[in-house]
Order: sequence, then structure tokens, then C-alpha cells
Amino acid sequence: MSDIHYFGIRHHGPGSSQRLLAALQALQPACVLIEGPTDCSELLPLLAAKDMHPPVALLAYAAEDASCSVFYPFVEYSPEYQATLYAIHNQTQLAFIDVPVNIQLAKYLQDKQKEQQESEQNGDSPDDSELDQAPTNISERVSDHALLLDPIGELAHLAGYEDGEAWWNDLIEQNGDSNSEIFTVVESAMQALRDTISPAHPGLARDLVREAYMRLEIAKAKKTADGPIAVVCGAWHVPALKAKHTAKSDRELIKTLPAKLTKKNVKATWVPWTSARLASSSGYGAGVDAPMWYHHLWHQQAHPQRIAHWLTLVANELRQAGQVVSTASVIEATRLCQTLAAVRNRPSVGFEEVREAVIACLCFGEASIWQQIESQLLLGNQVGHIPADTPLIPLIEDLQGQQKKHKLKAEALPRELSLDLRSDAGLGKSILLHRLTILSIDWGTLGNSGKSRGTFRENWTLAWQPEFSVKLVENLVYGSTIEQAAANKLLEQMQQEKSLSKLASQVNLCLEAQLDQAASQGIDLLAQRAAHTSDCIDLLESIAPLIDISRYGTARAMSFEHIDALIERLTLQAAIAMPYACRNLDDDESWHYRQAIGDAHQALLLTDWTCEVEQQWWQSLKFIVESNLSNRQIAGLSSRLLYQADKLSNEELDLLLGKMLSPAIAPADAARYFDGFFTNAVDRLLYDDLLLSAIEHWLISLEEPSFIEFLPLFRRIFADLDSMERKRLIDRVLQGRAQGPSQWQVNPAAIASWPQQLDRISALLKRDKHWQQ
Amino acid sequence: MSGILRQPAEVTYQAELEALKAEDIAKKPANWALSPQAVVTYLLGGKTKDGIEISQKYFGNRRLIETAVATLATDRALLLLGVPGTAKSWVSEHLAAAICNNSTQVIQCTAGTDENQIRYGWNYAQLLANGPSKEALVPTPLYRAMESGTLCRLEELTRMGSDVQDTLITVLSEKMLPIPELNQAVYAQKGFNIIATANNRDKGVNELSAALKRRFNVVVLPLPDDMDEEVAIISKRVAEMSVGLDLPMPKDAQQEIVKVVTIFRELRSGETLDGKVTLKTPTGNLSTAEAIAVMVGGLSQANWFGNGSLDAENLSSNLVGAIVKDPVQDKAVLEEYLETVLKKRTGYADYYKTINEVL
Repeated sequence: MSDIHYFGIRHHGPGSSQRLLAALQALQPACVLIEGPTDCSELLPLLAAKDMHPPVALLAYAAEDASCSVFYPFVEYSPEYQATLYAIHNQTQLAFIDVPVNIQLAKYLQDKQKEQQESEQNGDSPDDSELDQAPTNISERVSDHALLLDPIGELAHLAGYEDGEAWWNDLIEQNGDSNSEIFTVVESAMQALRDTISPAHPGLARDLVREAYMRLEIAKAKKTADGPIAVVCGAWHVPALKAKHTAKSDRELIKTLPAKLTKKNVKATWVPWTSARLASSSGYGAGVDAPMWYHHLWHQQAHPQRIAHWLTLVANELRQAGQVVSTASVIEATRLCQTLAAVRNRPSVGFEEVREAVIACLCFGEASIWQQIESQLLLGNQVGHIPADTPLIPLIEDLQGQQKKHKLKAEALPRELSLDLRSDAGLGKSILLHRLTILSIDWGTLGNSGKSRGTFRENWTLAWQPEFSVKLVENLVYGSTIEQAAANKLLEQMQQEKSLSKLASQVNLCLEAQLDQAASQGIDLLAQRAAHTSDCIDLLESIAPLIDISRYGTARAMSFEHIDALIERLTLQAAIAMPYACRNLDDDESWHYRQAIGDAHQALLLTDWTCEVEQQWWQSLKFIVESNLSNRQIAGLSSRLLYQADKLSNEELDLLLGKMLSPAIAPADAARYFDGFFTNAVDRLLYDDLLLSAIEHWLISLEEPSFIEFLPLFRRIFADLDSMERKRLIDRVLQGRAQGPSQWQVNPAAIASWPQQLDRISALLKRDKHWQQ
Repeated sequence: MSGILRQPAEVTYQAELEALKAEDIAKKPANWALSPQAVVTYLLGGKTKDGIEISQKYFGNRRLIETAVATLATDRALLLLGVPGTAKSWVSEHLAAAICNNSTQVIQCTAGTDENQIRYGWNYAQLLANGPSKEALVPTPLYRAMESGTLCRLEELTRMGSDVQDTLITVLSEKMLPIPELNQAVYAQKGFNIIATANNRDKGVNELSAALKRRFNVVVLPLPDDMDEEVAIISKRVAEMSVGLDLPMPKDAQQEIVKVVTIFRELRSGETLDGKVTLKTPTGNLSTAEAIAVMVGGLSQANWFGNGSLDAENLSSNLVGAIVKDPVQDKAVLEEYLETVLKKRTGYADYYKTINEVL
């Protein structure tokens, strides 16, 4: 018989870790049992390997469907990690005791299938009553969820703390001197909390089964161990594990679990993790608010000046963000932290005090400055590292599977590959290659030649390089399948992207790589950024790629309504901003604008725009034309666009051209107008007398020096015409001249003989053999 | 009954201050009348153990007041920053009343404030008769506060010239005021500190020099977070003002207030209330005080020029005046808001129409 000690911990809590280590030292257990899947126990010793640097995560996934996976992240300050290290260094027995992953994954797969079936069955007519119930269920689940995931954090919130760690420090740590007493205090708190939730609560069902499983595992260990047993588990579970249950009833409960997957079907391994993905904001349920703050606490726990250290880090971060922060201010911030803690009757400075002191002393009261550095500072950019000999990398395995499926071989020498996107095989390959490109694995390079043959063909050059495997490992932090990883990575990039047009092309990329969810999130991001952008050019440039997306569409089931609404908004915004943006531009910039407006216009003409958008767009173009302040090049372009669309009548245009090209206008400005009007549209001169005569007038009126000055411009514009067209233009110009009053006089004497002459000519034309001079 | 129009805070709330003091056993900083915790309670309201109700003086975030009080408990000066109408002076007055029972040591800073009004002036009759001496000095509120170890309030700090502002640097860092004419100095007693208020979004102000700025801990008082709270504040104030101005309050005023507050809040926060559409923000600060002004202006217009009912037509011109501060930029922002948001929203059609007319 051996006695069992339960250590209720707070997941990823540095304070909890510290206490656990001290308690383990005092207890000297013969066996350490940790809350974690039993069938992964053999992977635990790897945590102590030399090249293993947390944050890392234990990843288990179903071999048939790698997207069905579970992660167990470990950081340096996780009590579980510290307990594992302790056990390995002291050579005690070590094992996980929670429900094995093969059962968990079996359940996931089951649920997934059920969901699919349901969605197929329900089809288009979802049950109304279900819809009504759904929201309330979710909100309930969320509130309880928080309690189940981080009960200590919840207790802290109730006590008015924002940070669970500060509450732990203040209350738990202050309330007991001996280590064991702390765990008793926590246990009684949890008991009280658990009493508030009825055992029949649906959120609790999973926990009850897990606890039954753990009890059985603990009982099993009890038989074999000689010496004290230490059970390290979430504080929440301690009361349940200690409670008396018969082994029989526990077994009954476990029977409700689905049958486990065979060993062959489950893969488990270590993968590198990032500090940012430990944060609860990244979607990790048991995550912490500020991983880097915890990291700091863990390393500086015993240090009397840990707050000063942290503030120095903050100051450095602020300085890098371009703020001026003096050492004296850091000293003041440190003092304010301490006074604030005193005002709030807290025994030690917590994260909140630090934040408010930083805002008041270092950011001049501007919370926005703090928000700028907040995520970098709190989430950090630590990336874990795993030893090279870790078994199995799921991404590589996924890639191998895909290669097999699509019959693509990894070859080092470049090979051409032409894909027809209309066939499933071609599309599949293209999607895979696009996704790999997103992961910066340039196995295939997309050639340009495909463009001329239509949009359904893509030409790739494939060349595999060995370092791609390494890159795949780096990408593990984004997900365990290529699809997941590509989606997550692109999403991250999109979130950092400031420029609208780039964001729009990234969304396009999402569609090409068939990452629908990322695409729809990207569209949401676009909508958000669009509002913040005041840069008209950015708005204009984003319109064309979006229209491409909406027009050509894809084979994918995505709602393009959303995009259409967005295009409408962007167009409206751009149209409103345009008249003001087109002022005071230098030549380079105005060229850029001209290009952007032209492209956007071209794209817009292809859409069925609603009448208000259309109206606004034309109105803005008109406004540009009418305003004297507008840049002349853009005014020129706008007048042409209006004229082409019959929004400007011939008389109006005549008047306008006369005005814009009149001698009173500086030749440089007139030339800009001319440039804007005729670039890419000089062929209109071939058909349009009105334009031709206006231009002619202007050119003739130009003084010689200015004519010579603008000669290169004329040359450039007329170079758009090919030789035939140029000839026709010249003919027209000359013909126009010829039509003027002729210098030839009709000879009345010859009129009489004219019919005779005509006959002779026609005979000649008919090649009459009898014809003679 | 006293003929004084408005008593200082420490007189008006004397009972509350005494009740708090009676039960205050927590440690007090030197020369403080109350402990920091009691000061926070005084501002944010609560109940003493004897059951005496402490009224709430400041509506808003508790942490801000805690930071402000903690700042004063160190020897750092406090700068309350915020757009007009966010209760800066109000908070400053009550802090001074609670901490040193005297909120009347105030210097109103203006463009015409000179160093003599900050440091000390001279009694020229004395000066001519007896030469420079301490008796010939005319102390300022700052001078007195240093001598007595109490708080001095500086209102609208950024309104006075930068050169005059910088007089404060020595006072704040070395806690002493040199009097070179007498080769003497005034050394501040424990408990001395400064509470300054300033606008962070105003024109015609003199930015604080970096040296001075870093001697202050800055607390920014924000506009109300909550829509209902803001509607309540505005309804209350508008009702009070309409009584004072003899303007009858129409019955439907409440729903117009909600609409105006909605427009204000959306433009101010840069997104629609449902969070679905992000918007640009105009250059003006669109404070609660301005929303009140728009409502009162609308009321007045409705009363004198309209048929007495408050509608979009009366409010629109006031709204445009409040929102469009920069004729080019703000106009574009408002146009965009009208086209992308108001046009499609039910119940706002008359606003869309009338604002468009004004524009």
C-alpha cells in the first residue's frame, strides 16, 4: 500500500509550478501521475531530451484524417512540464492517467460523421426549433466553459482580479506557509465551486467520465508503486479524484466511451509551439492571457526587482515602437505600481497595476500607445524546438499522402507540369501546389505562359529541394495538415497586412488554394480595413482584384454576396474620396492614380453595379473634371471616361476641350490633360471628328518651343497606334485639309465632252480590248 | 441661507467627508485628511460602516480614479487629460477636497498667465518702502500649497504659454521654489502636490514640453463607455437646461436623443453600434457635452422657429455644425457615413435627407 498525494494545479501557472516543485521535493514520490492521455506516456521522457525547448505541444491525430487532432501544449512554467522533468531527473515512475487519445479521437471522428450525416439529412431546411435553441445553449456553454477550463482564473475574476496569476499570488500563496496546506486550500475552494454545479450539467459529463478513468488509473498505479504517489492534475479535478467511488461504477461510466481506434490509426508526436498560441486569445481553451508575463514571472519569481525588470522590457518595447521613454520615467512607473497595489489593498504588484502604471507614466495616459506594443509584449514570439529524431512529422506525412494521391513525385531536377483546372486531377494538383507556396515551400513555380491560353490552364515548374522538409517542420506551428497550416499562415499574414490591395490579392490566393474559411475571414478583414483606409489609391487598387474574384468566381461554395456588398462599399468610399485625393499630386503620383482609376473603372464596367454606386462614381468623375484644383492628367482621363459612356455630350466635350486646351492654360497643364485623355485611347481620334479638330486646334496654337518640349509626349501617345492606324490618321488629317476650298477651277468648255470621257474611262476599266487612245 | 451661488466641494460634501474620516483607520500619507482607499470611496460612492450614503461623484472606470489617487500618494504630479466635458475639473476639485480638505487653491491658466501668478508676486508699496524681504512677497496658491503641504490645482494647464509652464519643472522635481531676489527658497512640506487638467484635443494650446510632461503621471478621462449611460446623462442635462432656458420639452425628445447619441457614438468610435461596419472618424471630438448642445440647439430652434416638435429638420443643422469641424475632411467623412450607414437604416430616413440638404 502506498499513500496518494493530490496536487491540484493551475494549468500554465508559474506560481502553481513553483509550489508543486517544492511539494514534490518534500514528498520524494516514487511515482508521478500527470493528467494527460495514457497512451502517450511513452512520449513523456522525450520532454527531457537535450534539444527539446518548450513551448512544445504533444500532438495526436487520427492517421486517416489529420485534421482530427488534439494538442497538449507545454511551456516552461507549466506545472505538468516541471513535474515531468522532476520525475525524469529523479528517475521515478512517470505516467499519464487521463483518457487515452485513441478514445478521444474515436469520439471526434464519430461526432464528425454524425454532424456530416445530420447536415446532409437536414439539407436546406434546418429545423426551426433547433435554430431557436442554439444561441442560448452556446452562451451557457461558454460561461461554464470558462469555469471548467480555468477555475482559478474564474475565482480571480469573481474577486475583481483580471489576472488569475495575481490572485493566486495574493490569496493562495499568502494563505499558507507549508506547501501541502496550499493544495488543501485550493482543493476546498474547488470543492465549493463544484458544489455550485449540478452533476447532471451537460458541460460536466465529459469531466465525470474522465475523472472516473483517472481514478481507475490511479488505483492501478497504487498496486504497483512502492512509495508515495503524486497525482498532478487540474485543481478542478482533485475533489472528484479523492471522492469515494466503487471501481464498478467507474467502469460502468467508462463503458459509455466509444471503442478506441487501433494503434495503427493514431499517431502522436511532439511539435514545436509558439508563445503566441498559448494565449487564450489565439483560441486555445486552457490558454493564459499573457504568456510572456508568466514567462517573466517564472524566471524572476524570487527576484526582488522583478517588476523593475518587466518595466525595463516594456520600456524597450516602447522605444522600439518609436516612443521616447526615459529611465527616470521607468523608475516612476515602478513606484506607481507599488502605490497602486497599496491603494487596492493587494499584497503584491500584479499585471493590472503594471499596465495602468505604464499607461500613466510611460504612455502619457494614451492607452492606444500601450495597445500598440501589447500583443508583441504579452504574446511574444518564442518558438519551441524539438529534437531532430522526434518520430513522425504530420505535415510531411500529409504531404506524402497528397503526393501519392495526386501522383506527383518529389524530384530534384526541374520538371514542367501543365495543369488543366477543369479536371479534378488538375485542380487537385494546383491546389496542393498553391498551398505549399503559401507555406513558402516553392516546390512548384507558376509560369506566366499559362495566361495566354485562358484561365483554366496553369504551367508549373516542379523542383524539390531537401530543405523543404525542414520548412515543413517550421510550419508545424500552424497546423498538422497542409490545408490547416496554409490557412492559418495566410490568415496570420492577412491580419498583419496593412495595404488593402495586397490583402485583396491574398484573398484571391486563398481562393486559388481553396482555403474557404481563410478567404471568408480575409473578406471580413478587408471590410474592416476598408473603413480605416483613407488612402484613396489603396481603395481604388483593391477594387479590381475583388471584382475579379466576384466575376470569375470559383467552383467553391462561397457566398459572393458578401464580396459584392464589399465592392459596393469600397467603390462608394473611393468615389467619395477621389475628388479630394486628386489634388496637389506630382507627376509620378498622378500617373499612379490615373492607372488606378483606369483599372478600377474598367473592372467596374464589367459588373452590374447598383444605380447609387454608379451615380456616385460618375458624379465623382464629373466633379474631378469640373474642379479647377484637380490634377490635369486625371481630369483628362475622367473626361474621356465620361465621354465614352455618353455622360458628356458632344457640345459639352467641345466646350471642355476648348477650355482645357485654350492658350491661357499653361502648355504644361494642357499637355497633362491631353496625356490623361489620350493615353491608351488615341485610336479614338480615328473616328471622332470632334476630338480631332479640338486637338488640331491646340497643336497648331502651340508656340514652337513648347511644341518641341512636348514632342516626346506626343510621340509616346501616338506610338500606341500601329503603322496602319497611323497612316489612316495622317490621311484623315490631310484629307480634312483637302476638303477645304479647292484651288482647281472647273473648265466650262470641257463639260460638254465629259459624258464621252466617262464612257472611255469605263471602257478602259472594263479592259475593253478595243480601247485605244 | 447663504447667498453663495456655489460652495466648494469640501463645504457641500462636508458630511460625507466627516463620516469617512471618522471611520478611516487605514494608513494615511503625510498631511492627508483621508487614506487613499477612503478617497477612492469618496469619489466613486459607497456606504460607510455606519450606513451613511456616500454619493457617487464620478461615473466611469474605477481604475482611473485608483491610478489618480495612487499618483498623488507618490510625489508625482497628476495630469488629468481629456476632451471637454469629461469631468476633469470636477474630479480635480473633489480629489483636492478629499485629500486636503481644501479645493480652493486654484490657478486658472490662460494665455495671459505670467510667472508672477504661478510663483509669487511683489507688494510694490512694501518693496519700495523696505526693500526686498519675505514680507514684500505676495504668495500665489502654489506658494501657499508648498508651505502648507497641500494640493494646488492648475486648471487648463496647456492654455498658458510654454515658458510659463516650465516654471513648474523645478517645483515638481526638486519640490522647492527658489526666490533668487532674497537668496532664499520655499521648500515644500510633505503632502504638497499638483493636480493639473488639460485638453488633449483642442486648438490654440501650448503643448507641454517633454521635460514637464514626464514629471506628470497622466490619466486620460474618457467619454462614457455605455450608450444607455450617455443617453441618460444627456436626457438629464437637456431636461435641466430646457427648464433653465424656458424651452418646453416635447414628448418625443427621448427618441431623438437616442438617434443623435447613436450618430455621435458611431462616428466617435469609428464603427457602427452593431460592430459590423467600420467608419472613419471626424476631426472634432463629439463629446457628450456637444451632444447636449446639439439637443438644446435643436430644442431652441423647434421652439422659436418650428412648430414646437423636435424633429430631424431642427437637429440636422446643429448636427452638421457639431460634426463638420474641418470643411473638407469632415464633410467627406460625414458623406461616407450617410451613404454607407444612415441611408439603409430604418427610422433615419429623415436624418439622411435633411443632413444631405444641409451639406
